[in-house]
Amino acid sequence: MSLTREFTKGIYKENPVFRLALGMCPFLAVTSSVENALGMGVAAGFVLICSNFLVALLRSVIPSKVRIPCYIVIIATFVTLVDLIMNAYLPDLHRSLGIFIPLIVVNCIILGRAEGFANRNTVPAALADALGMGVGFTFAMVVMATFREILGSGTWLGINLLGSPYSNQPILIAILAPGAFILMGFILGFFNMIDNRRKGGAL
Amino acid sequence: MADVLKLGIVLMLVAVIAAGSLGFVNSLTEPLIAQQKEKAKLEAMESVAVSIVGAGVPVTFDSLSVPGLANPYAQSDAVLSVVGVFSEGHKRGYVFIAYGRGYSSTIQTMVACGLNGEITASEILYQQETPGLGANVSDPDRFLVRFTGRNTQSLFLTADGGDIDAITGSTITSRAVTLSVRRGMEAMAAAGLFQEGGQSR
Repeated sequence: MSLTREFTKGIYKENPVFRLALGMCPFLAVTSSVENALGMGVAAGFVLICSNFLVALLRSVIPSKVRIPCYIVIIATFVTLVDLIMNAYLPDLHRSLGIFIPLIVVNCIILGRAEGFANRNTVPAALADALGMGVGFTFAMVVMATFREILGSGTWLGINLLGSPYSNQPILIAILAPGAFILMGFILGFFNMIDNRRKGGAL
Repeated sequence: MADVLKLGIVLMLVAVIAAGSLGFVNSLTEPLIAQQKEKAKLEAMESVAVSIVGAGVPVTFDSLSVPGLANPYAQSDAVLSVVGVFSEGHKRGYVFIAYGRGYSSTIQTMVACGLNGEITASEILYQQETPGLGANVSDPDRFLVRFTGRNTQSLFLTADGGDIDAITGSTITSRAVTLSVRRGMEAMAAAGLFQEGGQSR
């Protein structure tokens, strides 16, 4: 497979959220505003690139019996390093992204890609895969957050779209947890419908 | 046996390298992070103190100790008792940090108040409440603006018999902030920091 294909598959065909149903926890938890979704997507993408790189590099060194603990240690180390370095050198960015960084450890996309792709592919392929998955995850987060923020706050990326009559009394449930589940159902259903159509199946 | 040994050694190596790199980076970043925190705190103190003395007036801070304000949730590096705000040698008011147990974090609120015990400004220093709900407490126009001009008698949410509207969907967060600020000011009043008359309203 070419590197381009490894990159583009993560965006739609194997989109981690819509198609692989990975990373549901951040998809539900931090999509209440577009700003948060973008931050989480970028931060998780960065850790994904680092961990895929190292896992692919060490794939012949790490014995398969202890690969999972090794991956978890690698991922947790990267997350903590990112947290510390960002806190020390980019305090402003850390203030807005800070709360998402510890959550990256439990993002199963990262472990999923280490286990499902990086440990049996070359370093360049693993990097292309990580980049594509990172972009695909960010895209999915922003799609969900767009619906939730417009419905639940009347704004998009903090810009008031629907005017103050709406934003004073929005459909609050959209940014609460039950709204996240409902919207997730609609969005996943929509993508499955497209997929079915494409295969020539019935609705 | 040799296999188990090999697995163990690989795991140990991974852990040792991870711990070593974390320790190294931590030793580099720890002083910087502490410095950033201190700077952020000082900047917040200066920005709320403006509401007491007016913009552009140079202020100095002097810490006071108030019994009863020690907070069980405070981290050791976050203990700031009440700080007096002085300009041109006169005491003009106070700045303190209130710690309140919110929905998912201990919320730190920096409050400035005049000698009469009325709040002149407040700002959230730290919180990790739910994004989109409780986290809105950090938006100054959304909640804390309602504290301005209030004293210990009027710092109550509508839900608790007062007239401060809580953030929609975030009563726990709003209550935590309101309660912690009120407790702090009550401790200061008990220590006699406010002038007579300021409390009678």
